Amino acid sequence: MEQNNSLTPFPQGLASPPGAMTPVMPIFSPTMRYNTGLTPQPVQNTNSLSLLEEQQRQQQQQQQQQQATPQLYHSQVSTTTALPGNTPVHTTPLTPMTPITPATPASESSGILPQLQNIVSTVNLGCKLDLKTIALRARNAEYNPKRFAAVIMRIREPRTTALIFSSGKMVCTGAKSEVQSRLAARKYARVVQKLGFPAKFLDFKIQNMVGSCDVKFPIRLEGLVLTHQQFSSYEPELFPGLIYRMIKPRIVLLIFVSGKVVLTGAKVRAEIYEAFENIYPILKGFRKTT
Amino acid sequence: MASTSRGDSLPKVQCPNHPDAILVEDYRAGDMICPECGLVVGDRVIDVGSEWRTFTNEKATNDPSRVGDAQNPLLNGGDLSTMISKGTGAASFDEFGNSKYQNRRTMSSADRAMLNAFKEITTMSDRINLPRNIIDRTNNLFKQVYEQKSLKGRSNDAIASACLYIACRQEGVPRTFKEICAVSRISKKEIGRCFKLILKALETSVDLITTGDFMSRFCSNLGLPKQVQIAATYIARKAVELDLVPGRSPISVAAAAIYMASQASAEKKTQKEIGDIAGVADVTIRQSYRLIYPRAADLFPPDFKFDTPVDKLPQL
Repeated sequence: MEQNNSLTPFPQGLASPPGAMTPVMPIFSPTMRYNTGLTPQPVQNTNSLSLLEEQQRQQQQQQQQQQATPQLYHSQVSTTTALPGNTPVHTTPLTPMTPITPATPASESSGILPQLQNIVSTVNLGCKLDLKTIALRARNAEYNPKRFAAVIMRIREPRTTALIFSSGKMVCTGAKSEVQSRLAARKYARVVQKLGFPAKFLDFKIQNMVGSCDVKFPIRLEGLVLTHQQFSSYEPELFPGLIYRMIKPRIVLLIFVSGKVVLTGAKVRAEIYEAFENIYPILKGFRKTT
Repeated sequence: MASTSRGDSLPKVQCPNHPDAILVEDYRAGDMICPECGLVVGDRVIDVGSEWRTFTNEKATNDPSRVGDAQNPLLNGGDLSTMISKGTGAASFDEFGNSKYQNRRTMSSADRAMLNAFKEITTMSDRINLPRNIIDRTNNLFKQVYEQKSLKGRSNDAIASACLYIACRQEGVPRTFKEICAVSRISKKEIGRCFKLILKALETSVDLITTGDFMSRFCSNLGLPKQVQIAATYIARKAVELDLVPGRSPISVAAAAIYMASQASAEKKTQKEIGDIAGVADVTIRQSYRLIYPRAADLFPPDFKFDTPVDKLPQL
């Protein structure tokens, strides 16, 4: 089997479903089953294709990704289209895939990447828990049933806080990346397991992601609220920042006069990036000139 | 009292000498008179005046000329129901001393909450002396929100307070949230939440507040003369134009401008006094004042008469 270029940093199995608006950001994660580009294993390969056809399919997906990535930084009307007819019949040596930075997109990319600050995730441990024993025996656990009906547990690495409910469901907050959130949730589940409960790890789901970044110039919020009235809410008496509710992707942005932007409400990392790329040209238009 | 309008089907009476003249109705005498020549063209017009006449000397508590409550039916959805009032004579009581015909409560249960809210709005507005047009606008907003039912779970008082805030904004005379809080039992947080929800529900928006909106009210509450008020307005506007106070609430900037103007005049007010009137903490005034102080000389209007020169202004 002709090996793909070993320099490819992505798992080849990742593919955005055709017609998806947000191409999947390939992230290295230890929880992914088929990782490293060295042995391309298709994730959802149900048919028994020949190796050649598999390669073609993956190249096709990579081409889709490559074509999709410049479109990621387009304005709102971008579509990723599957191009089944354009793949070469014979395998061609793959160009090393660069990380997703567009070569020359139609509109300038901002060059700024929002940093993730907080991830909230939930998981079901699958068994009823006795919060009192957990609180008494576990370290770094607090339980005040009169105030709140859950055990609040903290671990130092990754620095996170978990709310563990008696139904067996758990909320994990404070992680800085999806991988860390999953890892932290697993650690909490292990703590609970070691205390004697038959804990499982069911339905891990990231519920919310918060990111922040700085556009490095001051912004005229009054102008922004005048032109984008149906999306923005700026009440200096209530909150010093402008609250911009983007429809697509469904993200809420807090935009401040200093140029700092907070993005929240995302379920996947790509939504944060897409939202920031959507707002950046708008903010550039309202840059303070003095 | 307006008379009934003539329908199109009726033949229009005209003065024979002046067919173009619009006839004046004299409803007391029942005539239609031509204003040009004074000719009585039509008579025996039905008198729509009141049947009874009440004189100011009489201490009669009931007014026979009123046959119904003068509420506006537009807001209540046409209240044409009849209420049975308490009996006056001895015959209205049955053997146990209870009054017969007790049923006078159920007039319009659907609008009861709305009427309650209107009463509350009127009470709140009276506390801060709001004119009738703002009260009417608030009532209309409340009616729209209430009929939409999208904010049904929220307390009616909170919605009423938020409607009052929006009405003041829409009329061009905004009141701060703290001023509305002062006359309402609802917290600023809840009023703010309802405000945003109502804007979304009614799909309207309001203009951004500016420093000048509050100057006249704050200055007159502090008892500052007109010159100081003009100076403070100018200072605040200049400060915002020169972008000396980015990100500061316009109320805080206005309070700092009033402080600077009053300190430069004969009527000096302390930060605490201004903070009490404006609803800002005096440390907030101090912060905004520190931002505008370096450019104080540019901020004053050119024709201002300084009691204390610019370099002698207090530096906090």
